[in-house]
Amino acid sequence: MLIEVFGPGCAKCQVMEKHAKEAVEKSGGGHQVVKITDYTAMASRGILSTPALALDGQIKVQGRVASSDEILTLIQG
Amino acid sequence: MSESVRPGFLRRGGWLLLALPLWFLVYHFLEPFANALTTRLFGLDLNGHLGSAVAFFFYDSPKVVMLLALVVLGVTFMQTFITPEHTRDVLAKRAGAWGNLLAAIFGIFTPFCSCSAIPLFIGFVRVGVPLGVTFSYLVSAPMVNEVALFMLLAMFGWKIALIYAGTGVAIAFIAGWVIGKLKMEHHLEPWVMEITFNAQAVTAAAEQRTGFSERLELGVQGVKDIVGKVWPYLLAGIGVGAFIHGFVPAEFMARFMGSGHWWSVPLAVLIGVPLYSNAAGVIPIVQALLGKGAALGTTLAFMMAVIGLSLPETIILRKVLKPRLIAVFVSVVAIGIVLVGYLFNFIM
Repeated sequence: MLIEVFGPGCAKCQVMEKHAKEAVEKSGGGHQVVKITDYTAMASRGILSTPALALDGQIKVQGRVASSDEILTLIQG
Repeated sequence: MSESVRPGFLRRGGWLLLALPLWFLVYHFLEPFANALTTRLFGLDLNGHLGSAVAFFFYDSPKVVMLLALVVLGVTFMQTFITPEHTRDVLAKRAGAWGNLLAAIFGIFTPFCSCSAIPLFIGFVRVGVPLGVTFSYLVSAPMVNEVALFMLLAMFGWKIALIYAGTGVAIAFIAGWVIGKLKMEHHLEPWVMEITFNAQAVTAAAEQRTGFSERLELGVQGVKDIVGKVWPYLLAGIGVGAFIHGFVPAEFMARFMGSGHWWSVPLAVLIGVPLYSNAAGVIPIVQALLGKGAALGTTLAFMMAVIGLSLPETIILRKVLKPRLIAVFVSVVAIGIVLVGYLFNFIM
């Protein structure tokens, strides 16, 4: 599964990326985490507030940091 | 059966029933405790310069942190009901002055982080929210900070809180309306309108969290995030406040920030713009300034300039706005703040 973390590099966005990687570890791996910092890419995906998280192109979380457990549930769900 | 799978009462938010009375109990005893600490432990005189500064610091630090925690909990909880997506969808259908007013009011309650300014700006403009309406929101969101608003309410009463919110909304309304009238759409950087844009993805991903305990959990997370991040600003602000409180002679501030000098308001704004602080960090300074005879209008202008016009945000916005539009944005807001300062110095 492709996990995208959107954020221009503010503190919250870094926490989100860390949580995403932790979630992948807990799930046993096999997922790819990509950090997207480019405003153009964010805007063209329709993201209004950062940090945001998308799974396989679908935006799941926006405007807040999700815990690694929550991301894990999203990956498994 | 269902009993065993549901989380316990405490975990579903029942802990609030225990925590809230405890909060009020501790809050009630903060001042006598701070005074006792200053006199007994440090052996200082409460009427002396150092003593009153130290007592101010020991009283204000826990007080502001406790208020901040309560306010952030409430505000984050509330914000789970109002997201930027809702705001955008409502504003996309409005044109004219009504849209500006609505955008300015929405700006009070929606969370805003300057790192989200660009995607938010593009998202608004591209679904058809008029440029002027977008600016009303962009001015109001940082300037009328929801946390600062409720902190003012708790520390200075409803009148000052209402003045702050009312004037902030008025500035945002007028600034956005003026920018709309100037028809500056061609002063956007071209890529803003050229990139492919897909708003569908977000609408489809509308978040599913609706339960009380989930919203409360987000509130607690917000408290951890925000208090964890702003405490250095807070302590710095309280430190400055304590110094002013203890060492600056009473009525001294009246000489510089009193209502008798026409130049005091623009000066306060000029000093406030490059200063960048979290909204909560400004409150203790405001408290100390008002206590030393600074005029309300001047103090308010200072606070709004610190919170509402920030250099980092302006630099970020440069990516989507051409210099001329940036200049119009900053000057319209600065003029608005100065006018508010004069207005309240004149009334009070």
